Amino acid sequence: MTWLPAPAVTVPVLLAGLAVVDGAFAGFRAATGRNARIRKRDYALAAARRGAAVSVPGLAVTAVVSLTGAAGEGHRYRDLVEAGTRMLAVLAPFAAVVILSLVAYWLLPLRESTFMILVGLGPLTLARPAVVAAAVAAAGLGSRDWLIWAAAVTAAVGVLLVEPWVHRRWYREPL
Amino acid sequence: MKPGLRVGHDLVLDGGAGAGPDGPPAGYGLGMPVLEISDLIGAWDPVTGERAPIVKREVIARLREAGHRRAVRIVERMPASGELLEPAAVDRLFVRVHTELQRLGEELHMARRFAELLAPLVAAARRAGASPLRIVDVGCGIGYVTRALAASGELGGDVELVGVDFNPVLVAEAARLAKDEGLTCRFVRGDAFDLTEPATLYISSGILHHFPAESLAGFFQAQDRPGTAGFVHYDIAATRLAPLGARVFHRARMREPLGRHDGVASAKRAHGDPVLLDAASQTTGMRVFLFEPIRHTNPFCASMRPVVGIRPELVEDVRRALGRRARGLVGADGVREGAGGVREAAGRVREAAGRVRDGADGGPEGAGR
Repeated sequence: MTWLPAPAVTVPVLLAGLAVVDGAFAGFRAATGRNARIRKRDYALAAARRGAAVSVPGLAVTAVVSLTGAAGEGHRYRDLVEAGTRMLAVLAPFAAVVILSLVAYWLLPLRESTFMILVGLGPLTLARPAVVAAAVAAAGLGSRDWLIWAAAVTAAVGVLLVEPWVHRRWYREPL
Repeated sequence: MKPGLRVGHDLVLDGGAGAGPDGPPAGYGLGMPVLEISDLIGAWDPVTGERAPIVKREVIARLREAGHRRAVRIVERMPASGELLEPAAVDRLFVRVHTELQRLGEELHMARRFAELLAPLVAAARRAGASPLRIVDVGCGIGYVTRALAASGELGGDVELVGVDFNPVLVAEAARLAKDEGLTCRFVRGDAFDLTEPATLYISSGILHHFPAESLAGFFQAQDRPGTAGFVHYDIAATRLAPLGARVFHRARMREPLGRHDGVASAKRAHGDPVLLDAASQTTGMRVFLFEPIRHTNPFCASMRPVVGIRPELVEDVRRALGRRARGLVGADGVREGAGGVREAAGRVREAAGRVRDGADGGPEGAGR
């Protein structure tokens, strides 16, 4: 018999994982266009690490809001998990498309790779804030519980602030 | 940025072929001119490199006249000393925008695209006995392509890579970056066609749309000189989707409002395939092609495509080296077939080029730089 962790564990873990990976990409984006050197793999990796690290405080605040609000009230925690599941339903397909586009960009020949930038990764970057907002709306769907809205909005703000924060902190001017 | 084109009689603007006080704007030559802010905020003496003062309200007036309200707001926010734009702030802005532009070039694999065509061209020139082998990047900006080619070493250690631009700030930045990474390439402020050493190959990225159509022929003809084996000039493919694509792409990838504005303006100003090919075809000593022009590829993929000039005796050698990709080299007939309105555009360019040759538009000096 296969043991599967309960949604009470998998949903927050998956959401947190997505947030950290998104933070890494946000860190990378925050650093782009600021270093005109040709060889900059280490620079990009450092930026991704910074982004991932900066995403953690946002997650921590979300966790504190959620756990404090639901303390001693099991049904509220269950509601939070259900809200998280709805968020995942919005975020996971978007993440899958982004990852597929990235893999295609890396693996396809030169011109097709460019195609992925023009029709995939570029527009997806622009769509990201709207997708995060849609995930918040999905989380709060049919709920009047302030805790669900507070947790979802806190998480969203944390995710969306990573890129501008990393950019302002480390990559304001060209190196 | 761009070539730093000679537009008036004694000044070069930062790339603005059509932005000078005397010259007609580049673009389609129809309706309102399409202006790029960067063309208007920097000007240098082509000989001494001395900066000319730029009066802020005059820039704003030109942009307002052209109906570029967003550009007006961008320039209004730029720092000024009295009436003049603050030179140090303009310089910093140029470096920031060009650093962001490099990111676009990286994502579009521009260095690999150049190497794909330059490797066979260099090999053919080498076999034909050309020595030294020198590639001159016209309007190199901060020299991304030149530095990337130097870093890859793909063209061979015997190839000298030189980037040339009129903008001294960008040239200094290119040199600094190259030194920082120990790259074997150099950068020169000035006119790419006034260098004392001849170029085996001329290249450029994103400068052709800065020339008015009637000046393009002069630009290409300036490269038909002894010792030159050919040229590869990449520019934005003028598709109907190009302005929309540029808007999305620049919005997603650039932070500087100036860069976003000028990126879209560039796509609007881009010359069509027939116009480019017809202008280049007047370079009598070269056979000219477009590589994978719009008709021959997915329009979404044709974000940038080059005009290629090759000495006739090297063409077969280059074709062989390109292998299957040689099918992408399309000459004048291939582009003209079935392209609507091409004959008229081609005739217009020929007529204008004739005027340039006759000196009516300021002579070849005004056209070719």
